[in-house]
Amino acid sequence: MSAEDDLDLLAAELALGLLEAGEAAAAQARLAQDPELAAAHARWTGWAAGLAADLETPPPARVWSTIAARLPANDDGTLRRQLRLWQGTAIAASLAAVVLGVGWWSRPQPAPVVQVAAAAPPIVAVLRGGAGVVSVSYDPQSRRLATVVAGIVTGPRVAELWVIPADGRPRSLGVLSQGHPGWRSAPARAAVVMGAGMTLAVSLEPQGGSPTGLPTGPVILTGKLAQAT
Amino acid sequence: MQNGSSPHDPSMESIDAMLMRVAEGDRAAFELIYHRTSAKLFGVCLRVLPVRQEAEEVLQEIYLTVWRRAGSFDPARGGAMTWLITLARNRAVDRLRSGGRRVSAPIELADAIPDPAPDAEAHVIAADDTGRLAHCLGRLDAGDAGLIRTAFFEGASYAELAERCARPLGTIKSRIRRALLSLRTCLA
Repeated sequence: MSAEDDLDLLAAELALGLLEAGEAAAAQARLAQDPELAAAHARWTGWAAGLAADLETPPPARVWSTIAARLPANDDGTLRRQLRLWQGTAIAASLAAVVLGVGWWSRPQPAPVVQVAAAAPPIVAVLRGGAGVVSVSYDPQSRRLATVVAGIVTGPRVAELWVIPADGRPRSLGVLSQGHPGWRSAPARAAVVMGAGMTLAVSLEPQGGSPTGLPTGPVILTGKLAQAT
Repeated sequence: MQNGSSPHDPSMESIDAMLMRVAEGDRAAFELIYHRTSAKLFGVCLRVLPVRQEAEEVLQEIYLTVWRRAGSFDPARGGAMTWLITLARNRAVDRLRSGGRRVSAPIELADAIPDPAPDAEAHVIAADDTGRLAHCLGRLDAGDAGLIRTAFFEGASYAELAERCARPLGTIKSRIRRALLSLRTCLA
């Protein structure tokens, strides 16, 4: 059996589900780095989907009613469209910033409101969307952020966390570390807008994080911050 | 018998386009996709999950995932139907296997059993991958075609197939690999 056969067989085995969990995870990880394997896998995935050729059973109407009722009421795609727009304009924006010698993100931010009267309760968010989940908790007093990342697939890229306040401008909370839960200080320009009701999002970015200061890659998870207590 | 399908079936292309509209949060496109594809995906769910109630629940989860994850569909890596069927199969198999549930129904490998594809020959003239696959599976040893279907629809690994056929792992592995290589030759 040639090496080409071996690669094709691995792709077929992965697409058809013949591998044990460990082997499948290893092959899955190889996909991101091996374009030949990825192409063979795409081919076999298409063929495998053909196994469903004869399957066709209309579901009862109640299935659609349940789905329609479970669509998040606040998700009309606006956020996704906005993010796409930012991605499209990010390059233009950063070029403009170079020309003007200043970026909007470097403008002085309003001083954070320091709450001394009462201990501010922590705020939390669970971000969902694609595969995996990211949970975030934020302590407004220390301005420290704890993140737990589980099961997200970044391929060769990294996952970057953003807060999107009412002005609609995403502010980076930094690149997420996959391996272990992390504590970090929120960057000052993000910390000032952290509060219940704000949207958090995770986008895929080049190694080292977004080069433009705005999301450049696909948004894979979103969620809203809420009071923990 | 229909022989008009081409590799660039316009209805498939529009599902691709619809899925990309769903990625932007277009609810009308989402509803259209549901009506166009739910019979196929429910068929997949029922093939994997014999309990109808479970198949319905998984179908709901699948479409909610389509709503949230449509943005990860990449037309460069395959068509929208493939993306949807793969998602449905994976979700249904995850449910079948959830909580460490094991599938242990024995598999009869007698070669006399015909390939269970109901109308493999009917697809021979179809020019798309789907028809070719049915044709090529029909040319395999019937036991091998059955093993490949079982792997896909029940999430059965080599080891489980070997156990359920009561055959040594090595025998099953080399048998399926041989079948996969001849499938590839037929499909390529």
